[in-house]
Amino acid sequence: MKHKYAVFILILLGLFFYSLTLKGILGNPKPGDFKGSLDQVTKPLELSPERGRFANVLALADFHTYDLGQELADAVYPDVGVEEGKFYSLFAPGVSYFILPFYLLGEQFNVSLIGSFGFVSIISIFNLLLLFFISRKVFNLPVWASLVPPMVFGFGCTSWSYAVTLYQHQFTVFFMLSSFYAAWKFKNMRRDGEGIKHFPHKFPRPSALSFAPLRIIFRIFPYICAVWVWLAYGLAITADYPNAVLLLPVVLYFVISSLSVLKEKDKIIFALRPAAVFSVIVLVAVGGWNAYHNQKNYGSWKRLSGELVDYSTVLQQGGLGQSNSQQVINKLGEQKGLQTFFQETNLPFSFYTLTVSPDRGLFVYAPIFLLAALGIFFARKSFSGEMAVLLALVAADVLLYSSWGDPWGGWAFGPRYLIPSMAVLSLFIGVFLAQAKNFAWSRILAFILFAYSSGIALLGAVTTNAVPPKIEASSLHSHYNFLFNWDFLLKNKSGSLLYNTFFANRMDLKEYYLVIYAALLAIILIVLFVLPRSERQQNSVKLKDQNVK
Amino acid sequence: MLSLTITHQSIDKWKRRFNALPPERLVLVLAVVLSVAATAYSFMHGYITAYGDAESHLNIAKRVIDSLTPGFAQLGGIWLPLPHLLLIPFVASDFLWRSGLAGSIVSGAAYAVSSLFLYKLTHLVTKSRAASFVAAAVFMANPNMLYMQATPMTELTLIVFFIISSYFFIKFLEDDSDILSLVLAAFFGFCAALSRYDGWSLVLMEAGVLGLLYFPWKRFPARIAKLRENFDLQRYKKMEGRMVLFSTLAFFGIALWLLWGYLILGDPLYFTHSIFSAKSQQQNWLVRGELPAYKNLLMAFLYYLVTGMSNVGVFWFLLSLAGFALFFFNRESKHRFYLLLILLVPFIFNVATLYSGQSVIFIPHLTPVNFEWRLFNVRYGIMMVPFAAFCVAYLFYKSRAAGKALVLALFAAQLALFGTGYSKVITLEDGTAGLSSAVAKIPDAQYWIDRNYDSGLVLVDDYARTMSIIRTRIPMKDVIYVGNKPYWEVSLKEPEKYAAWIIMQKNDAVWTSIYEDPVVQGRLFKYFQKVYTSPDILIFKRNPDVTAG
Repeated sequence: MKHKYAVFILILLGLFFYSLTLKGILGNPKPGDFKGSLDQVTKPLELSPERGRFANVLALADFHTYDLGQELADAVYPDVGVEEGKFYSLFAPGVSYFILPFYLLGEQFNVSLIGSFGFVSIISIFNLLLLFFISRKVFNLPVWASLVPPMVFGFGCTSWSYAVTLYQHQFTVFFMLSSFYAAWKFKNMRRDGEGIKHFPHKFPRPSALSFAPLRIIFRIFPYICAVWVWLAYGLAITADYPNAVLLLPVVLYFVISSLSVLKEKDKIIFALRPAAVFSVIVLVAVGGWNAYHNQKNYGSWKRLSGELVDYSTVLQQGGLGQSNSQQVINKLGEQKGLQTFFQETNLPFSFYTLTVSPDRGLFVYAPIFLLAALGIFFARKSFSGEMAVLLALVAADVLLYSSWGDPWGGWAFGPRYLIPSMAVLSLFIGVFLAQAKNFAWSRILAFILFAYSSGIALLGAVTTNAVPPKIEASSLHSHYNFLFNWDFLLKNKSGSLLYNTFFANRMDLKEYYLVIYAALLAIILIVLFVLPRSERQQNSVKLKDQNVK
Repeated sequence: MLSLTITHQSIDKWKRRFNALPPERLVLVLAVVLSVAATAYSFMHGYITAYGDAESHLNIAKRVIDSLTPGFAQLGGIWLPLPHLLLIPFVASDFLWRSGLAGSIVSGAAYAVSSLFLYKLTHLVTKSRAASFVAAAVFMANPNMLYMQATPMTELTLIVFFIISSYFFIKFLEDDSDILSLVLAAFFGFCAALSRYDGWSLVLMEAGVLGLLYFPWKRFPARIAKLRENFDLQRYKKMEGRMVLFSTLAFFGIALWLLWGYLILGDPLYFTHSIFSAKSQQQNWLVRGELPAYKNLLMAFLYYLVTGMSNVGVFWFLLSLAGFALFFFNRESKHRFYLLLILLVPFIFNVATLYSGQSVIFIPHLTPVNFEWRLFNVRYGIMMVPFAAFCVAYLFYKSRAAGKALVLALFAAQLALFGTGYSKVITLEDGTAGLSSAVAKIPDAQYWIDRNYDSGLVLVDDYARTMSIIRTRIPMKDVIYVGNKPYWEVSLKEPEKYAAWIIMQKNDAVWTSIYEDPVVQGRLFKYFQKVYTSPDILIFKRNPDVTAG
């Protein structure tokens, strides 16, 4: 299969499956629609993360302010903070700003919610493409094996549930993968006239290009890549503050890649590519905007949204009506610092919860990732710096969120904090399949694990993300993991816009689920068993042609 | 291009300078500087005697030379005597005794010598100065180690003998004709065995390794009938000779201690089952259902693993695991299994004691939130620092340039984690706020007696830690405690006979013998007047108007 067809097919698959499961309603919701309606289970604003971010977009678009106001604050409760009598969402502001143009566009067509959520799906499709490109270009996998990582990440794990609603995770993955890819491109780009002879080149020398505009593009391309690395890093932080740590491996990789050591007869030259240095201004600009935003809204340039005093705590202390309410808020604010968010003491339990617990465990929800371990093992002999960076991203993600006091991510479907790790690990599943010696058995194993993992992923995508942690579920006398979603499937309760709007009268949810599931399994069967054969045949034909020539 | 040029000439100059540095002296100087700085910091913040046990160790040593009944019998039969014997010259000074600096001198010296011998031990295995320096650096820079070396606790005394004994033992393994090294290993093993009970397992393990080293069969005989086949008499003779040589000295400390228990306390195993033994103390936790590792091997393993991790630091611990794996699978190193067995002695010992209920650790990472205490005895994990330091150094030694840079980066990152409070200095936390702490629960009565004590003997149950003696103005020779025969026994029946002051805490030995016995209580109120009352502590002062009949 040709590279461009694969890209086209991935876009189609993304559009098809994400459309079928996209959450939302028709119309432009107003603040009054939140409480008791859109905030119910299986409804588009069922949980506070999407509710808080959507409320921010709504306030920005309709009221031209970042302050939520009393009505929206009550709707978004409990993830609301208070500062100077104003209410703010406790989430980082970036996602709301990214969504804003798509909200406004959707509003024009009376589908503001779909416009907002749809943009997340578009970003998710970009993530599928990035995984494909990284597999192809960085790992040099064949086309069929390069299709596996996007399939696993897109439809074989719980990231699916967060590609059809308003969460920060797909943005994080987008910034992580795109900055990594840009840094890799930057590293492998040769620039004429700089005397950096030792940079490996996969690109033609700009001077060798006869077409002038192409020459210019090739000359500025390193700057574009460098700018994107810093910009993606800055934007990722505005989307979710812990990304400052999560994306550090990519930043380090980029900085190290821009360094070169030239050993000459009598001296050693350490050189730094100027594009890497000058482009850092973009990060400074994004940081400056963030500081301005914090100063304007939270009272201090270095105060983050998460550090605001919880509205719920203020209410417990007697509310805002009291004369000393600001003093109470100030005192509570002093107790809530950044250092309280991540603690080493959380490590064992949170690590267990995120990886193997029946509650939220990655390998319980998506055992296909067990193959990633084999992929890493297979890759050990051809282990590259890029693989090390990608594994460092997984390590950073796992360590970071294993230090988090709420590894469940509140009411959520699967280990949502590990979505960036899922993206990276899926790449190693591709490596495993490409390098496995027992070709048939490895693919059969991959198919079985994919069937299980995607079955669960789809279950979450068509029903709800509002799954209680075990500790809460036991007091509610309900199931606590994907069995909770199974109950919803049986009760015909779906969050899918298309199902609820067009198919609910024609088929029950189980049938809808089975149709999508069957399509998905058919596609993975083709990817695993048909494409490798045809690719091999094409390659042998090419080889014959070359021999004949 | 931004570049920096360094000539080979200047590199050679720096190389020559580095090679000219005497590395062992450098390690020693660094260790002394760090030790003095950490001790000064602890002294200024009042942390030196924060642990309840810290004062007990100081008091035991003090009583040998300065008490109502001075003599070596004051060493008691529970804690091993060597750390107290080492304290004796320093506690002679009241200032060093009361401030705890007497202990800082002993532990600080042990810390410096440990750093030096850890350097030598790593050099023995790797022959690399840089890697050996990394081992010493990981050990020296560990904040838990820096804190503990400032205290009179016995951990550093054990660590120094543990490291020196291991060093000479490994030296012997490298060249088994070096009998002097075996003798020195036995001598320092003897010292370790008289420092803490962990030392007993060290000498046992070393003896076991000797047995394995000279195992007289080339293959383990499958049947008893085949015992004579393949038996190597020469190896057996060698084993016999070296085993006798080693064991005579190494186990002499244990034999001495058993003899001491028999002669002084009438029971050679007094330390295992007296009311003051650790096991008796653990019974209280067992009754309350708060001994999670008891008869649960997995929990015992996890508890000590996490405690070790917390003492070492997360990043350093992860690095050490990687180094451990690398060393374990490196076939070039002939005696790697023996070396690892010896370095892992503290791990094996602590897991075994947790499992058998001989000791208890509460660590917030694992201890359930409904337990009364969640921080206790975490300092046991500090014994894993030498092992971790060696393994990190080995990883550094085996890594290429990028790997070395990563090890150093993570070394710095861990220091940052300690600095930001993400990783707490858990031994200090336990000393200041955990169950091990004396300063977390200083009773008001202590301040009262400090202000009002004038002169005369004070009857107090020191074991119950009713109050701190070093923090009051009471001279040690004016204290009547359980070790002062016959003063103690007589005073519990006739309190007026010796004591001018009686301090009792609810349910301690003084309370139960005097306050709860109606006859003795009568004498108490006849000869003493109550001068201080609190819900838990009562203080009586001898009534000068009533003379004993």
